[in-house]
Amino acid sequence: MAGRTLATRRAGFDAALLLVLPAALFMLLLFVYPFLYGLWLSFEPKEGGWLANYRHFFTSTRLWPTIGTTLSLAVPATLINVFAALPIAYRMRRPSRFRRTLTALLVVPITLGTVLIAEGMLTYFGPRGWLSQFLQAAHLYDGAIRLTHNYWGVLISLVVSGFPFAFLLILSYVTGIDPVLARAASTLGANSSAQFRYIYLPLLAPGIAMCFCLAFVQAFSVFPSAVLLGAPAGPTRVISIAAYEAAFEQYDYSLASAIAMIMGFVQLAIVAFVLSLRGWFYKGPVGGGKG
Amino acid sequence: MKHDFNELRLDRVTRRFAGHGGQAFNALDEMTLTVRRGEFIALLGPSGCGKSTALNCIAGLLALSGGTIHLDDVRIDTLPPERRGFGMVFQNYALFPHMSVAKNVGFGLKMRGVPGSEIASRVMQALSLVQLTGQEHKLPGQLSGGQQQRVAIARAIVIEPPLILMDEPLSNLDAKLRLETRSEIRRIHRELGRATIYVTHDQDEALSLADRIVVMKDGVVQQIGTPEAVYAEPANLHVARFMGYRNVMELPVAGERDGRVVLRAGDSELCGVRKLPLDGGRAMVAIRPEEITLAGSANDVNVITGRVDNVEYGGRDSLVEVVTRDGTRLHVRASGRFEPGAEVFVRVPPERVLVYPREAH
Repeated sequence: MAGRTLATRRAGFDAALLLVLPAALFMLLLFVYPFLYGLWLSFEPKEGGWLANYRHFFTSTRLWPTIGTTLSLAVPATLINVFAALPIAYRMRRPSRFRRTLTALLVVPITLGTVLIAEGMLTYFGPRGWLSQFLQAAHLYDGAIRLTHNYWGVLISLVVSGFPFAFLLILSYVTGIDPVLARAASTLGANSSAQFRYIYLPLLAPGIAMCFCLAFVQAFSVFPSAVLLGAPAGPTRVISIAAYEAAFEQYDYSLASAIAMIMGFVQLAIVAFVLSLRGWFYKGPVGGGKG
Repeated sequence: MKHDFNELRLDRVTRRFAGHGGQAFNALDEMTLTVRRGEFIALLGPSGCGKSTALNCIAGLLALSGGTIHLDDVRIDTLPPERRGFGMVFQNYALFPHMSVAKNVGFGLKMRGVPGSEIASRVMQALSLVQLTGQEHKLPGQLSGGQQQRVAIARAIVIEPPLILMDEPLSNLDAKLRLETRSEIRRIHRELGRATIYVTHDQDEALSLADRIVVMKDGVVQQIGTPEAVYAEPANLHVARFMGYRNVMELPVAGERDGRVVLRAGDSELCGVRKLPLDGGRAMVAIRPEEITLAGSANDVNVITGRVDNVEYGGRDSLVEVVTRDGTRLHVRASGRFEPGAEVFVRVPPERVLVYPREAH
């Protein structure tokens, strides 16, 4: 009986699939349509041919360098987040009360949002902020501390908001690996660093790549902190600021759409590159045999 | 790391765990055991008896709460597992899923800095020993359960460890494979002559594989002996139950005759061997179903009259349940045909009736 039910279900149409319809509709209305509309809009410039916006972007020195500016923030921030999260998550792979507490603490910056983090950082890292006052009072450093309204302010804010995300994601990958594998390796003579190198790292690689992609996309679309904590006129004029100015200062929606498309394309290219690296790694289950 | 040894000595090895409600309990309580070179030791007991805890303590995967472990004159319980150099086979195989069979088997050699060409030849040797030649490029996920467990065995023996530890290696296999792999383990042990400690809850496995069996319960060693000794002369009622003495009953003691204990069983008498000093007027009797025979008449020693209640056909013989006049249920293994309801006389040789004191509750 059971076999037949299974067979029929596999061959026929499963009515439960209909449950994805509302979500599919939602995606279509709120994501696919605006995307296609934006794409179409980007080829309808105010003046010039259908590629005029793109030509303008790549010839204007106010526009094309924003790609580099954004990458110079997003790539280091992502690397810091992922590769700082990895050893900490690895150290915390065994369940403990400490792990629960830290996990709960790390969720807080995620829920606060970038604007609140920026507010806090302005107070703390600013020229008259607590950090500067403390260092001067303790006579550790007397010079001016410039950690806001420049590149470093934005980078720190990207780490503060992005690290917990990367950490929690990697922690879930690390704890998904059967600890008996490490024990087996240890009985075969692998010390702690060899266990990490030969067992954990290869099994984590696909997860790290995925985490890198998600953290990168998050950092690449930086906007509030680049404005609030950076120097939006110069060193931290990221691509989203360029798009914002085009749309809401020049009222050129068509150019703004083109910038958004370029932004999406750069993200896609990086993500595709990183995910293609996953082909080099083992992608199967991470258990050691029968459970 | 030594390649061979004369004695592995466990001296009052204890491991405490925090139990429910913060109450600490001894998962392993003062275990003392000496394993000699080349010996096959089975740690036998029900789940939760501390046998796996003992194995993990020897492997170095669990720290001791008390006691010491010596390999000859070297104290090893303070060493991490990677410096003890024992080969271990895990219940769920614990193969590295991202490495080929050859890489899995060669891992321990690589960690020891053995040159690549030697690794290759020793891996091939180990794989041929477990009869897996030709599978070296597959990933563990592409092998069957039995093959995976043989890879795990090859991985543990290729490093030529002084001691091989096996944690219920057959319990994830189906019945047929279990028997095959069991013979395989016996054959490999004979060929390599390496001391092996084998954890199991299956008395058949322990009896068929081990040179000596350590029976455990609640973290405490109950008996250490050869399979013959543990099978025929269980040290206490718990060991008897575990070794297949299915008929365990409490009977009043009537007295002693010719060095034998006499017990009252309904309106007949039962003579038996006292295994431990008795206290009080009642005692526990343990009889194995195989040891009970059907008698022609009631006129003999140790014959009890009963009625066939249930028959389970088992091929070569049947498991017959006989209910005696006072309502005691006896399990008897016998060949022939039995009809439920028929009256039978069952007989047990007095030397196979084991008498133990009543258990404290």
